[in-house]
Amino acid sequence: MEAPQYVAARVQRALAEDERTNELGIRVDVRGEQLFLRGQVTGNERRLLIADVAREAAPGLTVRNEITVIDVRGPGEEERL
Amino acid sequence: MRELRIAAVGDVHLDESLRGRYRERLDDIGEHADVLLLAGDLTRHGTLEEAGVVADEFRDLPVPVIAVLGNHDHHSNHPAEIAAMLNDAGIKVLHDDATVLDVDGVRLGVVGGKGFGGGYAGKCASDFGEPEIKAFIGHTKRIAERWRVALKELEADRRIVLSHYSPVKDTLSGEPLEIYPFLGSYLLAEAADAEGADLVIHGHAHAGTEKGVTPGGIRVRNVALPVLGRAYGVYCL
Ligand SMILES: [Fe+2]
Ligand SMILES: [Fe+2]
Repeated sequence: MEAPQYVAARVQRALAEDERTNELGIRVDVRGEQLFLRGQVTGNERRLLIADVAREAAPGLTVRNEITVIDVRGPGEEERL
Repeated sequence: MRELRIAAVGDVHLDESLRGRYRERLDDIGEHADVLLLAGDLTRHGTLEEAGVVADEFRDLPVPVIAVLGNHDHHSNHPAEIAAMLNDAGIKVLHDDATVLDVDGVRLGVVGGKGFGGGYAGKCASDFGEPEIKAFIGHTKRIAERWRVALKELEADRRIVLSHYSPVKDTLSGEPLEIYPFLGSYLLAEAADAEGADLVIHGHAHAGTEKGVTPGGIRVRNVALPVLGRAYGVYCL
């Protein structure tokens, strides 16, 4: 059986290199039959695409999509330097 | 001298699916800031279609917009065309050079460009060995040297360095240590410290933290959108 580290590395590379995602900032962890995706993106469509690409790169594993969608509002407080 | 309010954000990674979504947060930017700085990774794949979305999101704002490109904006090998499209939309794109704005009589100078990697003092790539490694670190060295010259020649009341890659480790906290050499280089900070600046803005490190400082004491802010979690940061100088 392929070591989980290699599976995670393959998924991470797929996320970076697949032109549907080109996503460098997602953490990928494989634990047994489960593949965990963690990180932040700006839209749900992107979140789902990342899971699609991960699923194709690691068929047979259950993808746990724990990526959060950040909804950015307003500029917040200013900082005086 | 009047206080300047600097708005900054990076890594908006726009594409067609996000068209109009960022723009709606910018309508009142004139009430919060005097200028908007974009710290690279404006697109996802660096295509001209995505650059068109970026141009539309940031054109005709009530404040001037100054940008640098990021590694994603280089992915499709069209950085010059993308820069030209943004320039046509009134967005000033820096490529290892400087621009000076007049804000109510205060001269705001911004020097910068994409920057590049290599790592941080004592734990970095050096100009030695295979041509591939020399090319990697040579790219960073040439960029840092151009920034140093641009800063030396800059005549302004307030000085900002705008980069995509990070000049310091402080703002990478949260990123895995193993990838630090791909996130930035201390050579960028060294250039700023040598010639002086009031603030360094960068992006690229999505999992990093907002606030840091160069070895010479210049404040550094990582404005990658996932780090800020707000439309843009506002820093008053
Ligand atoms: Fe980015
Ligand atoms: Fe980047």
